[in-house]
Amino acid sequence: MPEEELILTQSQELRRGTVVLACLALLETPQYGYALLETLNDAGVPVDGNTLYPLMRRLEKQGLLTSEWNTDESRPRKFYRISAEGSRVREGLAREWQDLATSISRLTKEYR
Amino acid sequence: MNGNTLTDRYVHEVVRRIPINQRDDVADELRATITDTVDARDPERREAAERDVLVEMGDPTLLAARYADRPLALIGAELYPSYVRLLKVLLLTVLPIVTAVSVVISLWEGDSVGAAIGDGIGTILIVGGQMIAWLTVIFALVERSTFQDGSASSVSTGAEWSPDDLPEGRQPNQWSSSACAAAVWNALLIGLIIWQRVAEPYRADGEGLQVLDPDLWSGWIWPILAGLAGVVALELIRLAAGGWSVATAAWYAVAEALVAIPLAVVLFRHEFFNPEFLAAVNGGWQVPDAVYTIAALSVLVISAIEVGQRFREARR
Repeated sequence: MPEEELILTQSQELRRGTVVLACLALLETPQYGYALLETLNDAGVPVDGNTLYPLMRRLEKQGLLTSEWNTDESRPRKFYRISAEGSRVREGLAREWQDLATSISRLTKEYR
Repeated sequence: MNGNTLTDRYVHEVVRRIPINQRDDVADELRATITDTVDARDPERREAAERDVLVEMGDPTLLAARYADRPLALIGAELYPSYVRLLKVLLLTVLPIVTAVSVVISLWEGDSVGAAIGDGIGTILIVGGQMIAWLTVIFALVERSTFQDGSASSVSTGAEWSPDDLPEGRQPNQWSSSACAAAVWNALLIGLIIWQRVAEPYRADGEGLQVLDPDLWSGWIWPILAGLAGVVALELIRLAAGGWSVATAAWYAVAEALVAIPLAVVLFRHEFFNPEFLAAVNGGWQVPDAVYTIAALSVLVISAIEVGQRFREARR
């Protein structure tokens, strides 16, 4: 496998778990699926729709998100926002992320 | 809303594969999301944009599996090792035995060597195919019932693993010898059943008689033989693995049920012995009904005890 391809697959592995934390961080304000996808992309956390949309429903099923249909506009859309439990989980995950980032940057310092 | 646009067809293909109570909600959301995405593209080329968006969303089957949180593998990583192990035992141990027996029977019945070899090949294909098919079906069903949450952490669905679960060393212990004895005993039973059929060992009026009711061979004897073969295989697995696991004990329960239930039914209905054989042995004396009832119940009770023992050992 060429080097670029290896980096690509491995970095996908690295990013995989971060989408949940990014979602939880962004959904302090309610958003619908496509808007969240765009916001994530703009924020530098690219994710595919076919991954994100089922993920949001799963997070809702786990009680981390709540949802509501908004029919004010011409096209009804399902808006998601973070629940109280989701906030607590987000704090825990954010702490975990900080620790991990610190450890990894310490480990990889000499290579930069 | 339920037109025949590409999007409608796509959404339909996704939601018909997910649980019915989520269908409408997922359909509405997915349709809105796809339309949102298409709107954000070039409005001049709407149709092409719709196509592109659907291509990006990918195979509806895959998306549906993600929505339904369903495993995308027939047999997942959790079960795969035991699946392969069991398949190996069946194909490398049980299948050769069955094949050898069928060849011997053909020869015994006076078939030519060529015909006997033909029977053997037929047995390999048919019985081997059945073994693979049924084992796969059963494991796929177990996969779908046990690991339904579909999350990567499905290990946590089982009991917490601890080093105490490690099988004890390979040194023989009391259980190994009993497993060995059980395997031999059940293999012997299979041999006896087939022998009394082929050799018709009881002599009455210069004619050979089978001990068991010949009608059994067009029905109940097959699950019994299959169950006995399963018991032999599982005892051998237990010998190889050094102990019963909950999974092998569960398999043992299936095999034992395959033997015990038909056997109890046959006994209860007085269809166990060949009537001619009974008449020849007993003369005018009739076996009391109670004997059959007690025998049928004993079979069930003993089997239940055997199964219980395997599960107890599995939990030690």
